Amino acid sequence: MGVGTRQLDFAEFYRGAADECLRAVLVSIGDQEEARDLVDEAFARAWASWRAVSRHPAPEAWVVRTALNAGISRWRRRRREIPVPDPGQVADLPAASGAPASLVDPRIMAALMRLPARQRQVVALRLILDLDTARTAQVLGIAPGTVMAHLGRAMAALRHDLQPELQQENRS
Amino acid sequence: MNDTELSTMVRESVADVHSATPVAHIISRGRAVRARRRTPGVAAALVVTAGTAVAVTALLPSGHPGLLGSGHPGSHPVSARLAAWTVARQANGDIDVTINQLQNPAGLQSTLRADGLPVNVSFSGPLLSAACLPIPPTSPDDVLSAVAQFHTSDGSAFLVIDPSALPRGVGVAIFDEPGAGVPPSPSPGTPTLGSGSPPGITRPPAGITGPLAVGLVYASQQCTG
Repeated sequence: MGVGTRQLDFAEFYRGAADECLRAVLVSIGDQEEARDLVDEAFARAWASWRAVSRHPAPEAWVVRTALNAGISRWRRRRREIPVPDPGQVADLPAASGAPASLVDPRIMAALMRLPARQRQVVALRLILDLDTARTAQVLGIAPGTVMAHLGRAMAALRHDLQPELQQENRS
Repeated sequence: MNDTELSTMVRESVADVHSATPVAHIISRGRAVRARRRTPGVAAALVVTAGTAVAVTALLPSGHPGLLGSGHPGSHPVSARLAAWTVARQANGDIDVTINQLQNPAGLQSTLRADGLPVNVSFSGPLLSAACLPIPPTSPDDVLSAVAQFHTSDGSAFLVIDPSALPRGVGVAIFDEPGAGVPPSPSPGTPTLGSGSPPGITRPPAGITGPLAVGLVYASQQCTG
C-alpha cells in the first residue's frame, strides 16, 4: 500500500468517523474543546499507525479508546494543578463545553456527567458509536455482562434525572 | 420514556457537534506523532553519548598532546585538510580530528573511514542515523574515554581517537546535538563538567555553529561503514 493510497483510505475513514468519534468522546468527558483535541490526537495516532489501525475490526472504537486513554494520561499529569469540577455543575459552566451552548443539550450533558466514568464510556460506545455489546466489551476490556449492567444502570439514572424535566416540559 | 426514546435523546443531544479539523491537519499532526515515536530512543541514546562525551572532557588533562593537532611532533602529514575540519593520523595510530565548522559531515566520515575508523558523522541532519544503535548506558565510560578524548578551544573542537581501543564491533558516532552544546575546555586540574549537568555545558564561542558530541555505537555496515 503506497503512501497515497494510505492517505486516501485514512481520509475517507476520518471524514466518515470524525463526528461520531468526537460525540462519543464528548459524551465520555463532557468538555467539548478537550474532546476535540483528544480526538484530533487520536486520529493523528491512527494515521501514524494506519497500517495496523485500518485492519482493526472497529477502527472508530480504536480512535475513541485512544482518545480516552490520552485524556486519562493528561488528567494524571494535570490533576495536581487543575481541580476537578463538580459534575453536577457542568450545565452551569458556560465554558465547560468550550462551545456555544446550542451545540449540546446542557441538561442531558449534565445528566451524563453525573454518571460514573465507565457508564459514560459504555453509553458513548453503545449509543453514539452504535457498537454492539460484544465489541463494546472488547474495547473497554470488560465482560459483555458488565457492559449490559453498566448500560442498564446508566439508562436508569438518565431516565431518573431527565424524566421530571421532560414531564414538566410536557405539562407546560 | 422507554430506552429507545432515551437513546435517541442522548444521540440528539450531541448531534450538532461536528469535527471541524481538516484531514490535512490531522495528517500533519500524525507526522509529528511518528516523529515523536522515533525520537525518544534516539534522544535517550544521545543523552547517554553526550554524557559520556562530557565525562571524557572532564577527564582530559590540560595540555593533552592530541590537542596540538597536526603540529604535534611526530605527527604524520595532514591526510585531509578542509576549512571546516582537519584529520591527521599520528604515528601512534591516533586520529586527530579538528572541527572548526559543522559542515561536510559526509566528507569527514569518508575520510575517517578511509583511515580505518568505523564511524558515523552527522551534522545538522537526523540526530543519529536510524541505522546506528548506540551502546547502552550501562557500558563503562572508560571505554569511550579510552577511544576518544574531546576538547574545545577557540571555537574549535578537537577529538583524539584511538582506533585500537575500540572493542570489536564498536564504532564511533560524531554528531551535533541540539540543546546540549560543546563542552567547554576544562581548566587545569579542575573538571568543569559535572556528569553532564546543563550548567557545565556551553555553546561554542565561535566557529562551530552548533553543539557537538561523540559517542559509541554498535558497528555495522549501515551505520559505520
